[in-house]
Amino acid sequence: MIIELGHYALVLALATAIIQAALPVLGVRRGDRSLMDLASSAAIVSFLLVFFSFAVLTFAYVTSDFSVRNVWENSHSLKPLIYKVSGVWGNHEGSMLLWLLILVFFSMLVASFGRNLPDTLKANVLAVQAWISTAFTLFILLTSNPFARLVPAPGEGRDLNPVLQDIGLAIHPPLLYLGYVGFSVCFSFAIAALIEGRIDAAWARWVRPWTLAAWTALTAGIAMGSYWAYYELGWGGWWFWDPVENASFMPWLAGTALLHSALVMEKREALKIWTVLLAILTFSLSLLGTFLVRSGVLTSVHAFATDPTRGVFILAILVLFIGGAFALFALRASHLKAGGLFAPISREGALVLNNLILTTATATVLTGTLYPLVLEALTGDKISVGAPFFNITFGLLMLPLLFAVPFGPLLAWKRGDLAGAGQRLFAATAAGLLVAAVLYHAKNGGPILAPLGIGLGAYLILGAVTDLMLRSGIGKVAGRVAARRLAGLPRSAFGTALAHIGLGVTLIGIVAVTAYETETVVEMKPGMLAEAGGGYTLRFDGMREGRGPNYTEDSGHFTVSQGGVKVTEIWSSKRLYSARRMPTTEAGIRTFGLSQLYVSLGDEMAGGGIVVRIWWKPLILCIWGGALFMMTGGIVSLSDRRLRVGTPSRARKAPPLAVGAAE
Amino acid sequence: MLFWILVAVLTAAVAIALLLPLMRAAAPLPSAHSHDVEVYRDQLEELARDREAGLISQEDAELARAEIGRRLIAANAADEPVREGLPKRVASNRLAQLVILLCLPAIGLGLYLTTGSPGVPAQPLAARLANPGDDVNILIAKAENHLAVNPEDGAGWDLLAPIYMRNGRVDDAVAAYDRAIRLLGGSAARLGGYAEALIVQSGGVVTADAQNALRKALALDPDDPRSEFYLALGLKQEGKHADALAAFRKLAGTSPADAPWLPVVNQHIAELSRSASGEGDALPPGDPTSGDVAAAQEMSPGDRQAMIRGMVDSLAARLKEDPANFEGWVRLIRSYLVLDQREKAANALRDGLKAFPAAGEEGRQLLALGRELGIEASGEEQ
Repeated sequence: MIIELGHYALVLALATAIIQAALPVLGVRRGDRSLMDLASSAAIVSFLLVFFSFAVLTFAYVTSDFSVRNVWENSHSLKPLIYKVSGVWGNHEGSMLLWLLILVFFSMLVASFGRNLPDTLKANVLAVQAWISTAFTLFILLTSNPFARLVPAPGEGRDLNPVLQDIGLAIHPPLLYLGYVGFSVCFSFAIAALIEGRIDAAWARWVRPWTLAAWTALTAGIAMGSYWAYYELGWGGWWFWDPVENASFMPWLAGTALLHSALVMEKREALKIWTVLLAILTFSLSLLGTFLVRSGVLTSVHAFATDPTRGVFILAILVLFIGGAFALFALRASHLKAGGLFAPISREGALVLNNLILTTATATVLTGTLYPLVLEALTGDKISVGAPFFNITFGLLMLPLLFAVPFGPLLAWKRGDLAGAGQRLFAATAAGLLVAAVLYHAKNGGPILAPLGIGLGAYLILGAVTDLMLRSGIGKVAGRVAARRLAGLPRSAFGTALAHIGLGVTLIGIVAVTAYETETVVEMKPGMLAEAGGGYTLRFDGMREGRGPNYTEDSGHFTVSQGGVKVTEIWSSKRLYSARRMPTTEAGIRTFGLSQLYVSLGDEMAGGGIVVRIWWKPLILCIWGGALFMMTGGIVSLSDRRLRVGTPSRARKAPPLAVGAAE
Repeated sequence: MLFWILVAVLTAAVAIALLLPLMRAAAPLPSAHSHDVEVYRDQLEELARDREAGLISQEDAELARAEIGRRLIAANAADEPVREGLPKRVASNRLAQLVILLCLPAIGLGLYLTTGSPGVPAQPLAARLANPGDDVNILIAKAENHLAVNPEDGAGWDLLAPIYMRNGRVDDAVAAYDRAIRLLGGSAARLGGYAEALIVQSGGVVTADAQNALRKALALDPDDPRSEFYLALGLKQEGKHADALAAFRKLAGTSPADAPWLPVVNQHIAELSRSASGEGDALPPGDPTSGDVAAAQEMSPGDRQAMIRGMVDSLAARLKEDPANFEGWVRLIRSYLVLDQREKAANALRDGLKAFPAAGEEGRQLLALGRELGIEASGEEQ
C-alpha cells in the first residue's frame, strides 16, 4: 500500500505543479496577490509530495520490495545498505525522480527564502519552475515510471551494475544534479524577466547566488565524477572527452561565463541582456546533457528505436523549453533596458573577454560532441571526435583566457589601466617564468611546453595572491593595518582568489600528469620486480581469493619499495559480481604527496603470470585539489553578507516573519 | 479501503494547503520599483562601509556613490504611485478555488487509475521470506540461497530443477538437472527432465545430448513414456519416418487409453502414416515444427550451425547403429559437406559403402554422389 501511496503522491505532485504553472501567472496579469501567493504554497506542497514519493521508492529499495519492477531490475537483497540507497538513482527511472526532487527542492527554496523578492517576479519565477517540473513529472509518469509493479514478485533482484556499486554513486549524481538543476532557477529568473519585460535591481542580486550555488555543486559533481572514473574504471585516465563528460562540462563552461556576467550585472547593471541569454543557454545545455545521457542517444543513435517514447519525449521537452525560451528572448529582449557603458579596458571588459572565450569554448565542445551524432543520423557514417580535437581547439582557446585571468580582478570597474595591472602582475609573471625555467632545468629533455604550462599555473596562483596583497596593502602599509584590511576584505574577494588559485592548481595537475606520467605494462609472476616510475619499485607477491557480500575477487599483493627499502604495499583486485556475472577492476592506488601510484590487474597468462599495468601519476591530485579550491571559493563567495537583497518598504512596516509564518 | 481513505486525506490536505492563500485577505502590492530603491539604498550603505574599512579610495567611492545615486533617482522617478489595494476579487478567486478543487482529484485519480496498481500491497523481502506461503519465487529464492551455501546438495538441485522448468527459467533448469545428475546419478525422471529442458532450450529440437539422456533414461525405465515420446520425435525430426512411426505406434500401444499425451502421439502417427503412404505433401526432411522453424530463424548463424551440427551428429550415431538406411547416408554425406567437414564426409561415404556395397544399385549411387561432390571414399578399395 505504501508503494501505491508514493505513486499517488507523485501524481498529485503533477496536479499541484499544473496549478502552480497556471494560476500565479494569471495572478500577475490581474495584479491579484493571493493568486501570486499560491505559487509559494504550491511549491512547498510539491516538494513535500515529491519528497514523500522519493522516500517511498527508497523504502522499497531498502526493504528489497521486488514487486516494484524498478527495484527488481536494479537491486539485490545481498547488496550493502548504502548501495541499496544509492541504487535508487543508479538507474534511469530513479535518477529522473532525483532530478525532479532537486528541481522542486530549489522551487521550495525560492518560495521559502524569496520573501524579499518582488511579488510579481517571485510568482513568475515559481510558475516557470512549475512548467519545468510539470514536463518532467509527466515524462516520469508516462514513460519512466519507477512505481510500475511486478506481479507475482520475483524472489531476487537483478542487482545494480557493479561499476556503480561504489561510494561515488552516493555522491556524484546528487551533486551533479544539484548543479544541473540549480541552473533552472537562473533560467526561471531569466524567463520571468522576459515575461515582465524588465529587470529589477534585485534580479541580479538573486541570480548571482543561485548561479554560484549551482556552479559550486556542478564543479564538485564533475570533479567527483572524474575521480570516480579514474579509480573505478581501471584505465588510469581522469578525463576522456567522452560525450557524457562533455554533457556535464558544457553547462559548467556556460555557467562559469554566467557567473562572471552576473557579477558585472550586479555591480554595474551592465550586460543585462547578455546575462539573461547566458542563463537560458546554461540551463538549455543542462537539459541537453540530460537528454544526451537519458535518451540513450549517446551509446547509440539507434537507442531511439529501442525506446522511442523516452527519447522523443525528452526531445519534445528540449525543443519546447529551449525553443520557447529563445523565441521569448527574441521577442522580448528589445524591451529590456540596456545597462551601463564601460571602456574596453576595464573589469567589465575583462569579464566580457572571459565570457567570449568561455562561450566559444562551449560551442567548440558542443560541436565536437554533437557532430558525430548528427553525421551518423544523416549519413550513417560513424566517426569519433576524440581527445586530439578537443585538446587542440579547447586548449588553444583556454590559453589566452588563462593569461588574462589574473588581470581581471586587478582592473578597475568602468575604466581600467592595463599597463598598471601588468606592472602589478610583474612579480607573478616573473615567478611563473622562474618556476618554468627551474622545472625545465630539472627535467631537461621533457616536453618543452610542459614547464611553460606549469609556469602558467604558478602565474595564475600568484596572480590571485597578488590581488589579495594589493587590496590589503601588504608591503605598503604597516603589517597590522594590512592584516586588518585583509580580514576586512569582502568574502567575495577571497572567493575570487580561491577559485582562480584552484584554476592554477588544476592546470598544474593536468600538465604534470600529461607530460610526466609513466605507464608500464608487464607480465609478472610472483617475486618479480618492476620499475613503477617516480623512483619506486614494485614487487608482485602473489594472488589471493576473497569474497564480498555479492561478489568474489582475486586480489594481487604488491610491495612498494624505494631504494631497496619497503615503503608500503598495494592490493589490486578483479571482482566478479555473481548476479550479473560481470567483472570489474578495483585498481590499487597509493598516494605519495600529491602524486599517485596506480596498479591495475589485467588478464592472467598461461604459466602463472599476470598482466600488470602500473602508472606513476605525478601531481595528479592537483587536478581535483584545484576543483576543491574552486568549490571553496564558491562557498566563501556565497557566504558573502552583501548578497542579501534589501528588504522592501512594505515588509518593514509589517515584520517579515509574519508573512513567513503564514506560509 | 484504508488505501482509498489515505488517498482522500492526502488529496484533501493538498487542496487545503493550496486554498489557504486564496482565502487570506491579501495585502496590496507594493509599487514596482520599491524593491529597486531598497537595493540601491543597501548599495549606498555597503559603499559607506567599504570606505570606512579603507577598502576603496575616496575618489572611487565618490564615483560609485554618484552612479548609484543616479540609479536611485531614476528608480524613484519611474515609480508610479502605490496601486490601491485592489478590491477583493471574490469572483475570480472562487473560480481559482474551483479549478484547484476539480484539478487535484481529476488529474490525481485520472492518471493514477491508468498508471497505478491500487490493489497491490508492498512486499518487503524480509516479510516474504518469513512467511512464504505459496509464493513460488520466494521458495525458489530460498532454495537458491540454501544451494549457494551448500552447492553439493543434490536433492536440492533435483527439487529445484522442475520448478525452474515450470517458471520458464530453462537455462537454470538445464544447469540444475545437470548438477543433480552429477551429484545423485541418473534416474529416469531426472534424465528425462534434463532432456526435456535441453529440448526446450534448443527451441524444440531433440539434440544429440538430449537423445543420449533419453536413451539412458529408457535404459533405467523401459516404460518411461516421456523418453519414448521425445526419442520418437527425434526420429521424426531426422527424417527417419518409418522408425518414428513405429516408435509412436509402440508408445500409443503401451499408453493407457486416457493418457493425456495420446492425442499428440496420435497426431504424429497420422501425419507420419500419411507421408508413408504417399498421400498429401511429403514431410520436409527433418520435419521441423513451425516452432522449430521460428526458433531457427531467430538464431544467429553460429547458433544455426550448432543446431545443424547437433542434428547431424545424432544422424551419424543412428546410422552407426542401423546402417541399412540409404537415404540417411546420402543426407549425412551432404550435411557434412554443408558443414565443410570433407574428411567426415569421406568417412561417411566409406561407411555407407560398407552397408551398401559398390556392386549394388545403391552402392553405385553413393559412388556417383561422391564423384559429383568431389570426395573420395577413403579406403574404399579395402
